[in-house]
Amino acid sequence: MLRTVLRLSLTGVLLSSLAANAQARELDTAFGEVAVPDTPERIVTLYEGALDASVAAGVTPIGAIATRGGNEVATYMGEHIDTSQLEMVGVAREANIEAILRLQPDLILAAPQLPEEQYRLLSRIAPTVVPNSTGLSKEGWKDESRIFGQALGKDAEINEALEAVEQRAAELNQRLSEAKVGGTAYIVRWMPAGPMVMSSELFSTGVLASAGLTVDDQGLVKEDSAHSDILSLENLSLIDGDWLFLATLNEEGQQALDAAKQSSAFTRLNVVEQDHVVPVNGQVWSSASGPLAAQALLDDIEEALLP
Amino acid sequence: MTLRWLKPAFRKQGAAALVSKHSSIGIAAHDDVPVKPPSGYWRLGERSGSGVSILIERRAVWVNSVLILALVLAGITYLCLGSLTLGPREVISALAGQGDMMTGFMVQELRLPRLIAACLTGGAFALAGILMQTLARNRLATPGIIGIDNGATAFAVASVVGMSVSLAPSAMALTGAVTAAVLTFGLAAGSGTQGYRFIVAGIGVGAVFGAITQLLLARVAIDTANAAYPWTVGSLNARSGGSVQLLGIGLALGFVAALALARSLTVLRFSEATASGLGINTGARRIQILLLSVVLTALAVAVAGPVGMVGLIGPEIARALSTPRHVPVVAATLAGALVMVLADLAGRTLLAPIELPVGIVTAIIGGPWLLWILMRPQRSHA
Amino acid sequence: MKVALITRRLEQRTLLALLLTALVAVSVVSLLVGAGTVSPSQALSMLLGSDDSEAYFVVWELRAPRTLIGIAVGMALGVSGALLQAVARNPLAEPGLLGVSAGAAFAVALALVLGASAATLRISVAQLGALVGCLCVLGVARWRGVGNDPIRLVLAGAAFSALLGAMTSMILLFDQRSADEVRFWVIGSLAGRRLEDLWAVLPSMAFCTVLIALIARPLSALALGERMASGLGHHPQLIRAMVVLCVALLVGAATAIAGPIIFVGLVVPFIARAFAGPDIRRTLWFCLPIGPLIILAADIISRVVVSPSELPLGVLTALCGAPVLIAAVRARRLPML
Repeated sequence: MLRTVLRLSLTGVLLSSLAANAQARELDTAFGEVAVPDTPERIVTLYEGALDASVAAGVTPIGAIATRGGNEVATYMGEHIDTSQLEMVGVAREANIEAILRLQPDLILAAPQLPEEQYRLLSRIAPTVVPNSTGLSKEGWKDESRIFGQALGKDAEINEALEAVEQRAAELNQRLSEAKVGGTAYIVRWMPAGPMVMSSELFSTGVLASAGLTVDDQGLVKEDSAHSDILSLENLSLIDGDWLFLATLNEEGQQALDAAKQSSAFTRLNVVEQDHVVPVNGQVWSSASGPLAAQALLDDIEEALLP
Repeated sequence: MTLRWLKPAFRKQGAAALVSKHSSIGIAAHDDVPVKPPSGYWRLGERSGSGVSILIERRAVWVNSVLILALVLAGITYLCLGSLTLGPREVISALAGQGDMMTGFMVQELRLPRLIAACLTGGAFALAGILMQTLARNRLATPGIIGIDNGATAFAVASVVGMSVSLAPSAMALTGAVTAAVLTFGLAAGSGTQGYRFIVAGIGVGAVFGAITQLLLARVAIDTANAAYPWTVGSLNARSGGSVQLLGIGLALGFVAALALARSLTVLRFSEATASGLGINTGARRIQILLLSVVLTALAVAVAGPVGMVGLIGPEIARALSTPRHVPVVAATLAGALVMVLADLAGRTLLAPIELPVGIVTAIIGGPWLLWILMRPQRSHA
Repeated sequence: MKVALITRRLEQRTLLALLLTALVAVSVVSLLVGAGTVSPSQALSMLLGSDDSEAYFVVWELRAPRTLIGIAVGMALGVSGALLQAVARNPLAEPGLLGVSAGAAFAVALALVLGASAATLRISVAQLGALVGCLCVLGVARWRGVGNDPIRLVLAGAAFSALLGAMTSMILLFDQRSADEVRFWVIGSLAGRRLEDLWAVLPSMAFCTVLIALIARPLSALALGERMASGLGHHPQLIRAMVVLCVALLVGAATAIAGPIIFVGLVVPFIARAFAGPDIRRTLWFCLPIGPLIILAADIISRVVVSPSELPLGVLTALCGAPVLIAAVRARRLPML
């Protein structure tokens, strides 16, 4: 019975998406023009940035992939929506296409680096929007959010959310410069053998920069790589700036800090002696992107730098 | 190992019957009295005149039919099960292009290509395995164990994580497999290809490539490491259409070549002197067989990564079912495909929604199996 | 005859002294060379008395601990390799090849998934895993005489390692964070290891030293054959059990500090035997300087080739060790120990 209903409705969706082209909107994506329904209702997000943008635009998807390093979506999402309602359709490494098919979405929002083979299959299930961005960049997430917002038919809402982020960043920037707080900052991930320096061309480093900090990766990070090789402990002085943000893949930034503090090479850094090390939640800082994550980052920065 | 014992071995080759000239074999060829086929064989063809007849081993026909049947049943089960369970009838109608769109999409676009990839990789691994085993006269000498898988993997991972070269993974896997094979055989040259020494040399080569793969993975970002992950454990989820097609062509050609080499294979199981005495150019044959095995391994690794142990289990099953008169090339290929389909089916469904890569399933089944083979009192190797 | 024997002993004494000198020299080099900005000459002038706080820190706080740890790890791996080879009577028995390291790595991965964090990992977890791995492989070896064939034992070890490796990958599938940490942990390295780790394993290493001193003589009797050893009043089963315990403790300790480092346990006794001849006691003495020499040399290379980062040590030892394995296999006759 259920199956019949599912099938009929899916057939309906497929047919209607063909028939309704006239009223559908066209979007420019990485795989060319894609027609999306006017008011999509069953949305599946296969990218943390897409989930963030949807929720920021006021739309709750029915399915999403788990955050990196977890089996659920990132915990900061729980402040905005009831995450238990979200069906998990895979992990960042691979989406489970059968699970997506079972949800019969009418719109799929995917990551910029979606492989073409996956796109071909997904686009048979529902119109699939893949943002047209290449490589890493500080501001690329805004364009991604915008196209996801357009796909959802929520242009105004997403622009409002992005403006709110920019406004808040500018405000924070001013307050920091008034308080004479700032300078250079590094984001590192602490591994047992030493730190990995995150690229300066990332979402999180972009938000840091917008708040007025100078983010640098000392040329340690190769082009198009998110982070450097593990740095030798003898070279920790390379990350001895004014602020150090310490992340793991997970929420346990504090644990990473405790681990790092066991190394004498770390504790003798100026930035550590001044207590300017900020342990942060890696789910937001190294995996997520989008307006809501940006607000969460700005919260963290404000709390740490303007106590 | 007398000639008498060997004779029947010349004349049959599984279901793909070997055509043999009586005169070349020399049993009663010039007799007018109809010759009874050896026990356990059927004869097709002329009783007199041209002197050409075909001998088919009954046991091989049985074994191969049973394996094909099992493969078909496993395949249908494979198409039925998943996050949405379908009935066999729905699957068959979907395959025929009838039925509704959703079932059709699920069966034809999602499950069938993966099933085909499973059959092809399983068949290729097992065929490569039995060729290598026969060549080395050692049932443990599969490409996976002597480091060829690891070589292919290291190179494929290098291409995925983008170490300056941007060749397609298939080509890189082939390069890696050939490199590893050359290293193993070159380094073990003094000790001959027989016996276990050559295998331990292979383990050494494999360990080096394994370390290189680990190094490559440790140096890249987690997302890239994730992308290369299938190549480190063996998974059918991330296969690319192009490399599956390449494998299909390779396996078809390789299969025919293996059948053509079948007679030599049978004889190569015996000592060098016996084989040369029977008119086999052992040197040339060995190189052909080695090349075939390496290419098949590389193409399969390019699709599914180093799925361990299929190259060991497939031939083991085939040998257990077949008579020892010949090298069961066909049965091994079928058994390998069957093992792969079942392993991937288990990996997809047992721990759902988490998908277990097929390489982990086969390693967990195959590891104890390998230990068991090692612990059995030793009989003949091949 | 007797004179020749005495000169041989003397030569060996000289050789041993030479090796120890070489070890001291390499240790000094290890203090002088690194991936950082402190140059060898800077470090040397600091050691000779100049006042340079940066050099002081780098040399004494970073390079000295890892040199010490390298020495301990090298000794543990070399000696455990020699012991395992003696008790398995197999020159190819190597803790890494036989799945002992895989056992330790599996235990560590399990502990990580169960909630331990990589930084605070218990040494005992790795030691327990190594013990279980050791028992499994030697159990297989004892059963149905696989152990009589050196090469089949290695194959059993490879099969066992593959099985454990698959199980390690499987449990990591369920936990991405651990997977991210483990992918750095599965390659051995001395970087970032703290002296506290070394202090934590010292008791078990001291215990092993005492145990080895006690069993060295019976062990060399065992080399004459089980009956001969029994005839001389030893208990072969007991000796074996103690050796297995030692190997597991040593390999577990080394693996817990530095991660799995393969082939060192193969290469070191291989070289040591070339110097010392077949006697296990002398071989063990030679393993003591040779193990650290190899580990330190590999570690120094690993620091300088990809500065400002470092290459993991495990990769280098695999690259150096595989040729020795192959050379050992190619040798006409595998010596039965």
